[in-house]
This record gives sequence, C-alpha cells and structure tokens, in this order.
Amino acid sequence: MFYTIIEQIVNGIVSGSVYAIVAVGMTMIFGVLRAINFAHGEYYMLGTFGAWFAIDYFDLPYPVAVVIGVVATAIIAVVVGNLVMQRIVGAPAEAGVLATLGVSLILQNTAIFVFGGGYKFFSGGYIEPVSLFGFTLAEQRILIIIVGLIVFVGLELAVTYSRIGKAMRAVSQNIECCAVVGIDVRHVALWTFILGAALAGLSGVLTAPVNVSVYGGMGELITFKTLPIIIMGGLGNVRGTFVAAMILGIAESLVATYVGLQFRDTVGFATLMLVLMWRPYGLFSAQARF
Amino acid sequence: MTIELSRRGFCIGTALIGLQSLSSGAFARSEDGTVKLGLVAPMSGPNARYGAFSLRGAEMAVKEINAAGGAAGRKINILPGDSQGTPVEGVSATKRLIDQDQVDFVIGDVSSSVTLAMQPVVEDAGVLLLNAASSNPMITYKAGVGGFKWTFRNYPTDENRALIVLQYAAEKKGFTKYAVLSVDTDYGRAAIQFTKKYLPRFKCEILTEDYYKEGEVDFRSVLSKIRDSGAQAIIMYGNADTTPIVGRQMIEVGIAGKIPLIGNAEFNTASTIKAAPKALEGAIEAAAWLPSYDSPQSKAFVDKFIAEYGEAPNNHAYVHWETVHLLTKAIEEANSIDREKVRTALSRIHYASAVGEVTFDDHNQARLPMILLEIEKGKPVIKGAYSAEIDYPK
Repeated sequence: MFYTIIEQIVNGIVSGSVYAIVAVGMTMIFGVLRAINFAHGEYYMLGTFGAWFAIDYFDLPYPVAVVIGVVATAIIAVVVGNLVMQRIVGAPAEAGVLATLGVSLILQNTAIFVFGGGYKFFSGGYIEPVSLFGFTLAEQRILIIIVGLIVFVGLELAVTYSRIGKAMRAVSQNIECCAVVGIDVRHVALWTFILGAALAGLSGVLTAPVNVSVYGGMGELITFKTLPIIIMGGLGNVRGTFVAAMILGIAESLVATYVGLQFRDTVGFATLMLVLMWRPYGLFSAQARF
Repeated sequence: MTIELSRRGFCIGTALIGLQSLSSGAFARSEDGTVKLGLVAPMSGPNARYGAFSLRGAEMAVKEINAAGGAAGRKINILPGDSQGTPVEGVSATKRLIDQDQVDFVIGDVSSSVTLAMQPVVEDAGVLLLNAASSNPMITYKAGVGGFKWTFRNYPTDENRALIVLQYAAEKKGFTKYAVLSVDTDYGRAAIQFTKKYLPRFKCEILTEDYYKEGEVDFRSVLSKIRDSGAQAIIMYGNADTTPIVGRQMIEVGIAGKIPLIGNAEFNTASTIKAAPKALEGAIEAAAWLPSYDSPQSKAFVDKFIAEYGEAPNNHAYVHWETVHLLTKAIEEANSIDREKVRTALSRIHYASAVGEVTFDDHNQARLPMILLEIEKGKPVIKGAYSAEIDYPK
C-alpha cells in the first residue's frame, strides 16, 4: 500500500519533469511577449520528429539525434520568431492568440504533409529498466529527471547572472521602461522565444523513447497539459511553473491509479479550478516573474 | 463587397438549383451503366492509416472485378468519403455520398462509433450499408430482425471475439484473474461488456478495469496497479498504435513476460513485436484475418497486394477486398443493382471467402470464424479458427 503510493509519486515526478521542461518555455514566452503560445506543443512535436528522422533515415545514435532534434526545433523557432513572434510584442492579446493558433496549424499540417499522417515508431533511447530501492524505472526516465533538474538550475542561474537573462527579467516586468533605457525588446523577445521552443523540443526528444509513437498531432495534448500548469504557476513565473508541473504530474499519477485511467486528463483543469478558487493569481504571485 | 440579391437574380438562381437537382435526380443514378459504390472510411486524422488500407483493398477488388467484365456486366466505380474516424464526419460523408453522388451501395466504416451513427442515415435513405470492419455487437443487434433492414456486416463481432479469447485463455492457459486495459470507445467498451457476459461461464473474474483515451502515452501507473493486483493476464482491446507503448512500459514496471496481453490490438504486427518483444511474448489475439493465414485464396491476395502497393496488407485491406467481392456476387445473383433485390440476394448468399463460407443470419450478421493466434518466440502462431453462434438478447 505505502510502497504503491511512493511508486506512483515517483511516476508523477517523472511526468512532472516532462511537463516542467515544456511549461517553463511557455511561461517565459508569456512573460516577455504577453502571449500564450498555443503552438508550444508543436515545438515538442518538431523536436521528436527531428530525432526520429535522424535515427530512422541516417541510423544515427540517440545522443546525436537529441542534438539534431533540438537544433532543428531551434532553427524553425528562429524562422517563426522572426516572421511572427517578434511582431506580437506590444500587440493586443487576441493577435497573439490568433497568430500562435495559426502557427500551430501550419506546423502540424506541414509535419503531416512531409512525413505522412500515420504513427511512426521511435526506436532510440535507453529503455532498460533499472532497480532503485525496490522500484523499477527505465534509464530514460532517470535521464528525464536529471535533465529536468539541470535545465531548471541552469535557467535560474542564467536569468540571475547573464546579461540576456537580466534583460528578459526586465522586459517581463516593464516593456516601456526597457525601451526607454535602450534595451532592444524585439531582440530579447526573439531569444526568449527560441529558448522556450528549444526547451519544448528537448523535452519531446527526451520522452520519445518512452512514448514510442510519433505523429503530427502529438503536440496538441502537450499544449493543453501545459496551459493549466503555467496558469497555476502564476503566468510568467519559472519557479511556480516547476512546482505546478510536479503537482499536476503527481495528481495525474494518483488519479490514474486510484480513480481510473480514463479520468487522468480531467485532472489538469480540475486542479487548476481548485487552485484558482483559493488563489486567483495562481500559486505564486504573478508579480515575481522569473 | 456585398452581393445584391435582386428579385430576378433570386428567380434565376432558384431555377438553376432546381434544374441541377432535377438533372442529378433523373440522370445521375447509374444511367451510365456503372455501379456507384460509396466507401466511408477515415482518410485523414489519427486513424487515416486504416482508411488507406481499406481503400486500397477495395480498389484492388474493383480492379479485378472490372477486368473480369464487372458486376452483372456493369463496371464498378468507387467513391470515397472521409469519416475522419468521427461519427459527425462519418454521417455527413454518408449523406453526401447518398444525396449528391447518388451511390447505389455504401461500405463503411472502420470505427464502430461511426458505423453506429451511419445506420439510421442509410435506413432513412433505403441504401444498403455493408459494414466490413467494425466489431461492436450492437451494430447487428439493431440490424435485420432487430430493426435496421439495410445494414449488413461482413465481419465477426466482439461478442464472439470476447468469448473465443476468454475460452482459450481459461481452458488452455488456466487464467482466471484478469485486469482490463481497453480503449475508451464503443469498440473497447463493448468488447469488455461482452467479456463480462461470459466470465461466469469460465469461472473467471476481473480485478481491475481501466480505459484509456486515444493518444494516451503514460500507462505506468495503471500497469503497476495491475502488477500489484494479482491479475494473470491483461485483457486489452485497443488500437494498433498504443500497443508498442503499453509493451514498452510493461517492460519498465517488470510485468513483461509474466502477465500476457490478451484480446485484440494488433499484437501480431512485426514492428509492435520488435518494439517490446518480451512484453508481447505469449500475447493471445483473436483476429478476423491475418496475412500469414494459410489458404490459397488468402496467400494469393497477400502476394497481389504486395505487388500492387509495395507493403503487406493489414486486416482492413483484406476485409474490404473480400466485401467488395461479396457484394459483387450478390449483385450477380440478383442480376440487377436494384437495392431491394440485392438485399434479398445478400441475405441468402453462400459466398466462399478466403477464411470460409459466408452466410448471413437473421440479424444480417455474417457467420465468420475468428482466427486465434499466440505470439511464440517473437512470431505469431495460428492456434486455429473458432466460430460461435451469437447469443442475441431476446
């Protein structure tokens, strides 16, 4: 009984880590661009497709495929960032919603057009189970948790100490003041977007070996899991996002075990509603961005 | 830009529309001598792969029939309609085929949820619907003497499948305790409903019951629950795309090779076995047909399909190919494409298919055997063909 609960919490932490890496990019993009990126799941999909392509067509080893997946996502993000996202800075909120929804449709259908609509089988990764304190966990899942921690510590350091990180924090707090003191807001917005998209791509590549199936529409589910997380975490709040992702991951895992798998997807929005009733600005103040 | 609607314009427009509908009503229906056959299947969306196989199977049959002189001397023309695997799109595709294209017969759909929605539509229009790939038992509970006169099904039902799988697992393997992990659709739910119907007969019980949404990727929580429940096998009725994911996660939670999968979710596909060989060892599946089925007709079909399309056919390609041939035989026996006559011919037909003779019962359900297979050493091994009479509710 006790053992089962601990195991389910560990399962929850693994899926929470995946959500966290995706959501942190989305929340940073919100912080800087003031737009919810509805195409965020598509970058997750692109990362997965990039790695799948590298393995399936060129027979490259998994670590190289990870790099290719992330780089491919970043390249597409540079294009989309320059063409679309930079123009959203300072635009009304509905412009951001429409633009990102449009990008989502285009990316999804391009993937289907190029690679076909069927499911692909992702063959890379480290799926052998490892026994740890009586639990079995695939090597890949341990890797996901480790990478998740590295990403969050790295981001924390980057936004505190690096020049572009400080600029991101500044832009997320007050665009006009940044423009007055000479910060290139569009430049900062572009880099934040590329970073966020690349993180989504990274989490796609990391989870592909355990999720196995690769298809054009796979990003949608991720976008709709990420949405409640970033709202719960207080839009634009990096640490809040991490905690919210873990809460969702663990809650989903417990619900799937004790209530039923079919109720798993309702957990996100149900938890969101409960949290918002108690704290309308999310778990963490929206003022303390980054 | 605005469009001015003048009275004259309105009159001309109405007249044109009237003329067009008159012309399609009077001349379109088979006046050119061809048989118009509508095929509703998921051509896009997550199940597009199944739709593509269905269409290829049906097209291959049409090519063969037309080359041999057609059905009762008429060439067959296939008109595809995309259901996207959803009931809403399936119904509008069916309506389009019947009202605009004026098809003589409809074949469809792969998904049970879609077929159930199509049934009342064809009933209203009085068009024959021949289902080739949905397995929900309700489809023929409601057909024939059950009410819907125009629906036939040339595919075994999940009621038979549930019975055959359970019987084999209980009698040959000695399993009595099961966990359920099925897809949350009319197909997945009904298969379990009918498994439950036969549980007492074999003194079996279900310990845990879970349904997953299509596209679900995380089964670890449920699989570890199943591991701790003491179940001897997992009853899974699902789609082919989820099976490799479940298999891999079974390896992770340490039940691969200990708790086998039984039911139907394309356990026998080579790529699925390759994805998780340890988890699929010992899997038991009942299928309507599979490429390795040993009969001269079936083998010839597989060879021809591979030569034509460069890939091995799946179950859906076969059943659609066979169903088009079956319909052609009914048309020939009726010696007409009159819907009423073809329907009567179909209900009396004795058609020699690649898996055995096809006849229909009073619920318009084909009596068909199920092929039972077990994965042994990474290869599907056929354990025999089983058939059972359906126990219709009185």
